[in-house]
Amino acid sequence: MSGEKVSEAGGPVAAAPVHRDPLALVVRFQSLIGLVVVAIGGIIFSPRRHGQILFLDPDNIANIVRAVSETGIIAIGMTFVIITAGIDLSVGAVLGLSSVVTASMMISGGFGLIPTILAVLVMGIVFGAIQGTISTRFRLEPFIVTLAGLQAARGLALVVSGNQYINISYGEGPGLAPPVFAVLGERLFNNTVPVATIVFIVFAAIATIVLNTTRFGRYVFAVGGNERAARISGVPVSMVKISVYAITGFAAALAGIVHAGQFNFGSANDGMGYELTAIAAVVIGGTSLFGGAGSMVGTVAGTIMLGALANILQLNNITPAMQLLATAAIIVLAAVLQSLVRRREGLGR
Amino acid sequence: MITMRQATRRALNAALLAGAGLCVAGTAQAAEPLVKACAKDGQFVIGFSQANNAEPYRQHVNDELEAAVKEVPGFTLQIADGAGNVNTQTSQVDNFITQKVDLLLISPFEAAPLTPAVKRAMDAGIPVIELDRKTVGDPGKDYTAFIGGDNYKIALEAGKYTAKTLMPDGGEAAVLEGLPSSTPAVERLNGFKDGVKENTKIQVVAEQAADWVPDKAQTAFSAMLQAHPDIKVLYASNDMMAAGALLAAKGAGKDVKIIGTDGLPGPAGGIEAVAKGDWAATFTYPTGAKEAIEMSKKILLDCATSVDKTVTVDTTAITPENAKQMMGK
Repeated sequence: MSGEKVSEAGGPVAAAPVHRDPLALVVRFQSLIGLVVVAIGGIIFSPRRHGQILFLDPDNIANIVRAVSETGIIAIGMTFVIITAGIDLSVGAVLGLSSVVTASMMISGGFGLIPTILAVLVMGIVFGAIQGTISTRFRLEPFIVTLAGLQAARGLALVVSGNQYINISYGEGPGLAPPVFAVLGERLFNNTVPVATIVFIVFAAIATIVLNTTRFGRYVFAVGGNERAARISGVPVSMVKISVYAITGFAAALAGIVHAGQFNFGSANDGMGYELTAIAAVVIGGTSLFGGAGSMVGTVAGTIMLGALANILQLNNITPAMQLLATAAIIVLAAVLQSLVRRREGLGR
Repeated sequence: MITMRQATRRALNAALLAGAGLCVAGTAQAAEPLVKACAKDGQFVIGFSQANNAEPYRQHVNDELEAAVKEVPGFTLQIADGAGNVNTQTSQVDNFITQKVDLLLISPFEAAPLTPAVKRAMDAGIPVIELDRKTVGDPGKDYTAFIGGDNYKIALEAGKYTAKTLMPDGGEAAVLEGLPSSTPAVERLNGFKDGVKENTKIQVVAEQAADWVPDKAQTAFSAMLQAHPDIKVLYASNDMMAAGALLAAKGAGKDVKIIGTDGLPGPAGGIEAVAKGDWAATFTYPTGAKEAIEMSKKILLDCATSVDKTVTVDTTAITPENAKQMMGK
């Protein structure tokens, strides 16, 4: 797996010994293994029609990858933050804010497609950068700062929307959005690949390259691995931290735009709880909440695995309660595996 | 097995169609049944896409639907919980389409976002009955039918009951509203206010939003009673807020006549609260579950060529006179 990267790649600081421990190998690829297991389970337990496996039906696959695309985009941003041992609880609320701003700019503001998208993305970046700056400047726990950010974003969304939801209608002229925006809710390539999924995959590919091949990527691992050592080695720690929150802000704004386009709708209540789904996907993907280790490919696999699991449970008419319990079990399993490896490597905690 | 069943279904279907063709021979064209694979003794799966199981009212809808489906041999009900999330609900509707359920019931969490998913189901030849909430478009065209209550009318009844029975001599009344700017909250508020207008001696002295939840209702109504100690009647836009208001009234040592809305069954619901004498009344918000399954039978078993596009289910006033008797229902 070329896309994999763990702490030993952390450049000058992360000095985790390289073990060829089989358990470590399992953990490193845990979400991919999990995805394969869920996929095999999906095939075995899938309902069939005329001998055809419903789980593998192209429409069904498209549905799975479409449903996870918004949380997936957010999880990718979240991976950067969690590798620096941070957390961002504001992402779901920023998605809501972004969907509202997207809708109101196009519908009541009369702005075009490009200015709207650029403005919303910049807003996300600024929102995240402000959180990162407050957190580093005043040495506050990101948990607290982004918890406040969550409230602020929901409040702003209510202000912008005037306590209403905003429907997006398409056409030419005032009060209508450019019809091309609706493409986010459609499928391309002979009606097979959802556009929302394409956005997710392209963003994931760029993020993987940034994290694994650039100096910035190495800095992210370094800050999460050992902040003090990173500072001594000349890593611009504050800048890196502010940047990762700007990235999650950008990701949440992008997800908000996708949301508005998919559902022709902007509401302050959108994206409720997405932060937790995203964190779950990142953790299942093998990124450590203690920072310093993580994998973008793991996050993508974790995201799709959660979606596939929900899908196969519903196809078999298994209750939502079981779905929550299954997700809980997987999160615990992923965390326990990680903890075992850390202990074996003598990292404690 | 499946092929066998389908073959039978198809054969039956052909027979029925032929019969229908004979009956209407001479007319310009034979009306087609809404579902081609309909049959008297077929096996049918009905998918229900619920907006959010976490709301007690919606759990009540699920229970009534399950009870109604049990009465029909050959019907199976699958319920998917949208968990108050349009993305989740959309993917669940898509799953139902993949599964090729025979009929889709849906209470969309929001109208516009679920509209494309409902269209996909209709395009796939699956009839869609919308329950309680509508998507964008027209029944009979963009979806098969709508079944639900009328929030305005229910609250209007509550207002009239207040004007005539609870406060014939007039006085001060108050309202606890649901989540501001949500459609049912606005409709229920306006309905009640229009209803009490029948009695000009009644003044609505306070209106507060409590977002449908009991704890906010308790806080809001405590404050109302501080400011207006002579409030005689409180209209709560749902049962949960009425329960919170009762706590506030008890805490303040006031005897306030409380009216709820929804009329939920069970120990925490409004019907029992009225039977115990805690509340003055509650007005049921009918689930439409029975009507929905009746309509499903018409479509799937009787091969109906058309059904009523909009079915409005009436409210029942639960008062001390009938509460005990309604508890068993």
